[in-house]
Amino acid sequence: MSSNPSPSNSSRFEGCTLTGALSVLTEVRDAVSVIHGPAGCTHHNFSLLHATLLSNDRLEVPRLLSTRLTENGIIFGGEEALENTLARALSLSPASVFVLSTCIVETIGDDVAAVCAKDRGVPVIAVPTAGFLGGVFETGIRNALAAVASLAGPAAEKTLSANLVGEKNLEYGVDENAAEIARLLGRLGIGINLRFVRGIESRDVERLGSAAVNILREPALRPVGEDLERRLGTPCVDSFPAGLAGTCRFLEEVGRICGIDASAAVEEEQAHQAEMLSRFDDIAGSRVDFQSPHPMLRGDPGAEAICAECAEALDLTVDPDGAAIPPPYPAPVGTAGLRRMLHRWRVLIREERRR
Amino acid sequence: MKQIALYGKGGIGKSTTAANLSAALAGEGLDILQIGCDPKHDSTRMLMHGTWIPTVLDLIRERGDDKITADDVVYEGFRGVRCVEAGGPEPGIGCAGRGIIATFQLLERLDALKGDVIVYDVLGDVVCGGFAMPMREGYAQEVYLVTSGELMSVYAANNIAKAIARLSRRVRSRCTLGGVICNAKNIEGERELVEEFARRINSRLIAYIPRSRIVQVAELQKQTVVEYAPESDQAAVYQELARAIHRNETTSIPTPLEMDELESFALEFVQV
Repeated sequence: MSSNPSPSNSSRFEGCTLTGALSVLTEVRDAVSVIHGPAGCTHHNFSLLHATLLSNDRLEVPRLLSTRLTENGIIFGGEEALENTLARALSLSPASVFVLSTCIVETIGDDVAAVCAKDRGVPVIAVPTAGFLGGVFETGIRNALAAVASLAGPAAEKTLSANLVGEKNLEYGVDENAAEIARLLGRLGIGINLRFVRGIESRDVERLGSAAVNILREPALRPVGEDLERRLGTPCVDSFPAGLAGTCRFLEEVGRICGIDASAAVEEEQAHQAEMLSRFDDIAGSRVDFQSPHPMLRGDPGAEAICAECAEALDLTVDPDGAAIPPPYPAPVGTAGLRRMLHRWRVLIREERRR
Repeated sequence: MKQIALYGKGGIGKSTTAANLSAALAGEGLDILQIGCDPKHDSTRMLMHGTWIPTVLDLIRERGDDKITADDVVYEGFRGVRCVEAGGPEPGIGCAGRGIIATFQLLERLDALKGDVIVYDVLGDVVCGGFAMPMREGYAQEVYLVTSGELMSVYAANNIAKAIARLSRRVRSRCTLGGVICNAKNIEGERELVEEFARRINSRLIAYIPRSRIVQVAELQKQTVVEYAPESDQAAVYQELARAIHRNETTSIPTPLEMDELESFALEFVQV
């Protein structure tokens, strides 16, 4: 289960394609991303990405270049400015270049794909974005994943390994969530082949087709998973696991795809979950009140189900006078995600008791 | 200062009409500025005796807009008519509409928009907001629709009437319809058709310009008719048009026809 089972239920699915696409593309560390449009479109995204990197303790600068289009570029066409900026990008010796378009250059009809099609010795890949015109944040993520996938080698012999596809690079817990998936897959003897896309280099993408299974971050990425299956023959699980039972079902599904009997792994994980829950005995039997989600996030049935499942496991009573608990967003990943969520519940319950 | 704009279907004879109108107005002793607002920049060519003057947008492209003076963009032609061409991007790229907006901003900054009458000669159809610029606040207060009796031409004129009606709803708008000019193609019943169309959109026929060979002959000599054949009947028609526009104080907010009205209007006039 994902926190976002349908594209209509959260503000994550609004926003600009550029932000979604760049959250993916800037994780190809030896690539440069060129944004064809006014400087502000780059500035805005640079600031967001830079701040996110810093909050994840990464002292890096996103490799973005703007064509810095001004009014004259809009009147006379911006393709020349794009050519010049591509030359600047290539002077930085990147392993690949991604080119994104903004609303205004699509409005005036600049042919970004045609400019990118010239042979320049390194891959120069036009990523369909078109700013707000081209869709929303999530469209940008999907199109960027497809663009990076064009660097993949042909369908290869599968190894007992998995790709993580479409990790949410802007979320705070992105690395903890990946570590949790790695731990769960470890129970099945499956390693991580490629984080697609986080902290990789262009040539790493060549091995995209070697994994036995693609683990999608959330169901909204199904079109990407289906495309990869068609092109590279890798089946996919459509979401990171959420919830106690959901985490065990995830193990079973990965096992089924990889031809591994997951029953022992599931038993081990259930024991691990019971041990994790026993550490929260101190809040067992407390009264809680699950709050309405923030209006920007709207309702998330997945998060509601997880709250109900954990409340039952800890014998919590849902009562309007209970400790106010906000629903998790996005839904916590695996057993480790639940443990972190329950820590927050404990703090809120203790605060309520002290009143 | 009177500011007028000529709009109409591409190829209908707007530029010929505008250049002869400007020449005739100048003959009345008035100071005239004619601004061509079409990327193909041929509005003022007959006034300039065939010379292609540098366009505002060419200069912006070559020099940047901070290095341009009024003398760089305004050229004096026949009878002292001052001529400006907006120009545009190369065909097929960029945004010509935004180019018109940039041209107006530059002309404002250069304080070049002055004279007794400013004549804006605009692209065939109001395809985007940029080409509606001359109708916006501070510019042309009177629009003249140039049309023949051909239905496609009347259809285009009706579309421009829609733009005028829309813009006139704005609080600061001073844009109105000054009248309809019939630039004839020698179609049977043409004058009556255009006259009735003008009436139905809450306007009136301000001039009927008959088709005349002398227009082509003058053009081959790279002159307006007013200059090439000042004694001709055709020159007299342009003189009368100039006087009618100059003294015109009756303008209106048009009531454009809906598509089905336009079609039934056509059926009344065209024998099937």
